[in-house]
Amino acid sequence: MINRYLEKEWFQYLCLAVIAGAFIYYFGWVFNFGYKFDWSVLFTKNATYGQVFGKMLLTGLQKTIIITILSSIIALGLGIVFGLGRLSQFKPVNWFSTCYVEFFRNTPLLVQLFFWYFALPVGLPEAARDFLFDRNYEMIAATVGLGIYTSSFMAEIIRAGIQSIPKGLLEASYSSGLSPFQTLTKIILPLAFRSIIPPLGSEFLNNMKNSSLAMVVGVAELCWSSQQIESLTFKGFEATTAATVLYLSLSLIIAGILNLVNFKMQIIPQQLKTTKHLIADAFFWPVTSIFSLCSKASRKFFRKRQEDFNLTRTQAMRRAVLHTTAKVFSFIWKAVFIIFIASVIIAAGIGISHFNFGVIRDNFMTLLIWRFPNGGPNEVLWGLGGLSYSILMSIIAIVVSFIIGLVVGVARTSKNKLFLIPSTLYIEIIRGNPLIMVIFWVYFFVPILTDTYLDVFWSATIALTIFTGAYLGEIVRSGIQNLPVGQFEAAASTGLTYFQTMRKIIIPQALKQMLPAIVGQFITIFKDSSLAYVIGVLELTFVAQGINNRLMIYPFEIYTTIAALYFICCYLMSIVARRLERKLSTDTFRLQM
Amino acid sequence: MKKLMMLGLAAALVLSVAASAVAGATYDKVMKEKVVRAGLMTDSIPGGFYNEKKEWVGLDVDIAKEIAKRLGCKIEMVPVNNKTRISFLQTGRIDMSLSNMTHKRERDKSIDFSITYFFDGQKMLAPKGKFHSLKDFVGKRVAVQQGTTSEINVKNLLLSLGDKAPKVISFQKEPECFQALQMGRVDAWSTDSTILLGYAAQVPGKYELVGDFFSNEPYGIGLPQDDSAWRDLINFTIQDMWKDGTYKELYNKWYGPDTKYYFPLTEKIEMWP
Repeated sequence: MINRYLEKEWFQYLCLAVIAGAFIYYFGWVFNFGYKFDWSVLFTKNATYGQVFGKMLLTGLQKTIIITILSSIIALGLGIVFGLGRLSQFKPVNWFSTCYVEFFRNTPLLVQLFFWYFALPVGLPEAARDFLFDRNYEMIAATVGLGIYTSSFMAEIIRAGIQSIPKGLLEASYSSGLSPFQTLTKIILPLAFRSIIPPLGSEFLNNMKNSSLAMVVGVAELCWSSQQIESLTFKGFEATTAATVLYLSLSLIIAGILNLVNFKMQIIPQQLKTTKHLIADAFFWPVTSIFSLCSKASRKFFRKRQEDFNLTRTQAMRRAVLHTTAKVFSFIWKAVFIIFIASVIIAAGIGISHFNFGVIRDNFMTLLIWRFPNGGPNEVLWGLGGLSYSILMSIIAIVVSFIIGLVVGVARTSKNKLFLIPSTLYIEIIRGNPLIMVIFWVYFFVPILTDTYLDVFWSATIALTIFTGAYLGEIVRSGIQNLPVGQFEAAASTGLTYFQTMRKIIIPQALKQMLPAIVGQFITIFKDSSLAYVIGVLELTFVAQGINNRLMIYPFEIYTTIAALYFICCYLMSIVARRLERKLSTDTFRLQM
Repeated sequence: MKKLMMLGLAAALVLSVAASAVAGATYDKVMKEKVVRAGLMTDSIPGGFYNEKKEWVGLDVDIAKEIAKRLGCKIEMVPVNNKTRISFLQTGRIDMSLSNMTHKRERDKSIDFSITYFFDGQKMLAPKGKFHSLKDFVGKRVAVQQGTTSEINVKNLLLSLGDKAPKVISFQKEPECFQALQMGRVDAWSTDSTILLGYAAQVPGKYELVGDFFSNEPYGIGLPQDDSAWRDLINFTIQDMWKDGTYKELYNKWYGPDTKYYFPLTEKIEMWP
C-alpha cells in the first residue's frame, strides 16, 4: 500500500514538504539553541568597534574573487605547460614536469602556503625581499601559491585528456601535412579540452574554495572576515552563515559558467540547438567574435603564401637557414633548461646541507607521535598527536565517509524524489563550501545541536567525514551512471529487485571503475587533515608549528620535514592509485609527443 | 523501505532527546563531579605552552591548578586557542578559561569574567635600536593576531598618530606573528607585553619593547554566562590566593626578576573587604 504511494511523485513531494516543515517548526520554535540569534550584527553599525560588519564581509568577498580569478589564470597557464611537459619526449622536461606535479599535488596547500610566505623570503637576497615586501606580499604569496597548487592538478587532467585522443587522429593529421604545432593547436587541444571540461571545471571550483586558506598568511578574505566578526562579537553563527551563503553563491555562479562552457563546446547541428545552447552562444559571443575576427584576418593573410614544390635557389637557402636556426635554438633552449634544472638541484642541495639535522632528529619522534603514550589523563588517545594523529583522523574519515558516500551516491541516482532531493542538497551544499567552513560549522554547531562537548579532534574528524562523504557520493554516482543501461535492463528482466540489482550487479562493477578516484579522494583527506590545525587539533601541522614556536630559528628544517612526511604518505597512496588505474584499464596505449 | 523510514524516525528521536537534555548550572556540576575543566592556551609563552619535555606549563596553568586544588576538585586541562576559547565556554565544554582574555564590555555580553587576575597592556615589539617612540611606527607594518583585541587597538593608535591607512597584518597564531617580524615582513609586532616578552626572550638582545603601554589589558578568567554562584567562588578563590601570597609566588615563578620574562608586578587585584 505505502509502496504504491511512494512511487507517486506528488506523494514524494508531499513527504519532503512535511519533513521540511517539521524541521523548520522544530528548530524554529521548539528547539532550545541556548544561543541568542542577532542577525542585526551583520548590517547595523557596531557601537564598540564603530563599523558595519556586513561591509567587512563584502571586502572579504572582493578579495576572495580577486585571488580566485588571478590564481585560476596562473593555474591554467602552468597546468597547460606542465601537462604538455609530461608528454614531452625530451627527458629532462618530462622528468621536471613529473616532479613538479607530484610534489605540489602530494603536499597540503596549507604547508605550501606557509612555505611561500614564511620560509621563501628568508632564503632570498635582501634586494629581492625588499622588492616583494614593498608590494602586498600576503596577496602575492597566496595567489601564486594557490595557482601553483591548482596547476599541478590541472596538469594531470590536461595530460589525461590529451592522452585520451585516439592515435588514428594524430596519424591522420600528420599525414595530411599538418605540422606538430598545428596538430597541437588545431586537433589535440580543442579535442582534449572538450573531454576535460568537467574535471577542469571542478578544479576551478576547488581553487575558489581553497582561496579560503589565504587567511593563514594574513589575507583578509571572506573566511577571514567571518572569523574576524566571530572573534570581535562572538556572533559566530551569524557570521559563518553569511559567509557560507556567499561561498555557495560563488560556487553556483562558477558552476553555471562551466555549464555554459559545456554547452558552448558541444558540437551539434543547428536545428538541434536548445535554448541553453543559445544562451551559451550569447554569453560567449564577445569572446568568440574576437576569435573569429582574428582567424578571418589570419586566413586572409596566410592564404597568399602558397608553397611550391619547385623551390628557387634563394627559397631553398632560406629554408635551410631557417631549419638550422630552429635546430640551434632548440639546442640552446635544451641546454638552458638543463642548466636551470642543475642549478635548482644544486641550490636545493646546498640549502639542505646547511640544515641543522640535529633539530630534525631531536624532534622527529614528537612530529610522529607527539607524547604518546605519556599523555595527560584527559587527552584523547593517550597523548597521541602529530603524523599518527593525521593518519588516524584520515582513516576514521575514510571508513565512515565511504559508507555515507555509497548511500548518498546511490540515492542520487534514484528516481524517487524522497531520496534524490535530500542527497542532492547534501552533496551540493557541502561541495559548494570550503572544508575550513565545514570545520567551523561542525565545531560550532554540533555542540549546540546535541548539547554534548566534542573534543576538537572529533570535531575535525566529523567535519572531514561529512566533507568527504559528499565527494565520494559524487564519485559513486558517476560510477553508477557510467555503466551501460543494458545492465539495468538485463537485471530487471531476470526478475531482480532494485536492491538486488544494486547490490549484486551495479555496485560491484561501479566500485571497480571508481577505485582510482576513491583512492585519490583518500589522498585529499589526508592532506586536508592539516586544516584541523586552525581549531587546534594536535595533528602534524599543529605540532610542527608548536616546535617551530619553541625553537624559533629553524623554520626551514621543520617545514621541509613535515612537507616530506606528508609527501611520502601521499605519494605512496598515489602509487597505489596508479597501479590500480593501470590494472583496471583495458587501454594500455600511451601517447607521446 | 519501511525499515529505512523507521530507522530515520528513530534517529530523529534520538537526536531530539539528546538535544533536550540541558546542562545544569556550572557551580552545581563542578561541586557534584569534583572536576573542574579549565581552558588553557598551548602556544602562549609563558602563559600556557609545552616545554622541551612536552609538559604543559605556564602561569595560567599553575593558577588553574591552584584554583582546582582550593576547590577540592581534580583539574581537566583543555587546550583552547583564540578561536575556541569563547565557544567552549558558551557550549559548556570548559568551566573556566585562563587564556590571555582581555575583559571587554563587548565580550561581557556573551560570557562572564572574574575579577582581573593579571594586568597587562599592549606594546610594540621591534628590532633593537630601530624605533624610539610609538610615533615612529606611523606608516610602518605591524603584525597582530587575529581574533584578539590588539588588532583594533593598534589600528586606533596608528590612526590617532596620523597614519591614514594603517598597515596591520593579522595572523592566526602568535608564532606566525613573531616569524613575520623575524623575516622582516613587518616592522613590529603588537600584542600584550607579557606575550611579547616571552617571545623576545627566545632570542636575547635582538628585539625590544618600544614606547609606553597604549592599551589597558585586564585579564579575567572567562566564565559561563549567568552563573553568579560559580563566579563568586572563582573571585573569592583568586582573592584568597592573593591574600596568602600564593599568587605572588606563582607570579614570580614565571615573571620574577630571575626569569627570562621579567615583568614587575605593579598593580593590585581588586580586594573586597
